[in-house]
Amino acid sequence: MSSTEFLTDELTEVQGVDVEAALDPVEADGSYRDSRECAALALTSGSTSLLLSPPTPRPKKG
Amino acid sequence: MEQSGTSTRLADAVQGLTSELVSALRSGGPFALAAAVSAADGPAAVRVVGADAVLPSVLRRTPAGPDDLAVFSGAVRAYPPPPGASPTSVWSHWAMKRTLLRLGGTLDAPHDGVPEHNGSPEHDAEPLATWLDGASWQSLTHQLAVLAPLAVPGGDCAVTRVARGRPVDVARGFVRAVRRRDWLQAAGAGRWLVLLDGVPDTLGLEAGLAFVAQMGCADPRVTLQVEAARLMRTGAPV
Repeated sequence: MSSTEFLTDELTEVQGVDVEAALDPVEADGSYRDSRECAALALTSGSTSLLLSPPTPRPKKG
Repeated sequence: MEQSGTSTRLADAVQGLTSELVSALRSGGPFALAAAVSAADGPAAVRVVGADAVLPSVLRRTPAGPDDLAVFSGAVRAYPPPPGASPTSVWSHWAMKRTLLRLGGTLDAPHDGVPEHNGSPEHDAEPLATWLDGASWQSLTHQLAVLAPLAVPGGDCAVTRVARGRPVDVARGFVRAVRRRDWLQAAGAGRWLVLLDGVPDTLGLEAGLAFVAQMGCADPRVTLQVEAARLMRTGAPV
């Protein structure tokens, strides 16, 4: 195997790992809005009321 | 966390491809997948974008060009799910194969003379969706958002049947994603909700999607999901 072939194989292998990682992402860390900010955003976003709904439970840590 | 060189290249290629797809969906103009990706990173980017890489053809029910199908098919062949792959990888790959065959493509490698597949959608067994059994509404929404390319009209499969059975849970997940500012998950969940019956009217999905589009506009992957939802909702030729 030439060095070029080796490099190509190695790159493909690394990229395959990256592809699999991209296809199974962990959930992004979220930042919850406080109620006043949600209310302001709801007012500026038309008739939607979803941001005024009660806050969803925060994930328990530990 | 620091990304490797190849993962950064891949992320850039995915962003570039999704930007091209958004432009095509918005304009209604032609989309040439083969011209939208590079030879080096294109196949990997197409594999990550999945069946959405040919979304303009799917939603408009227009044929894809042979060059585009060749690129799409090449990505399917180049990146099969490895042993022990995640369910989302397996399902994404299955969705690409189904889409390819529906668009008239083939999984055969050009000039190799050895068919990998007989070209029948029924030939390829549908993966199991048992990993979604009993999933919390938070986890379900995350998984569905990752598999948003499965949310297309007429795209019946085990995953869509799970989603159809839990519209309120997906709606809750959509709200949660918005509140967490996870615009990509919110956009993917919103796309699913467009296709589901039984979504609470109080959700305000249309306005919610507009909000997500506004807040997540810096990421073309978000915009792609919102545009797909909009086209399916407004009934552009789908």
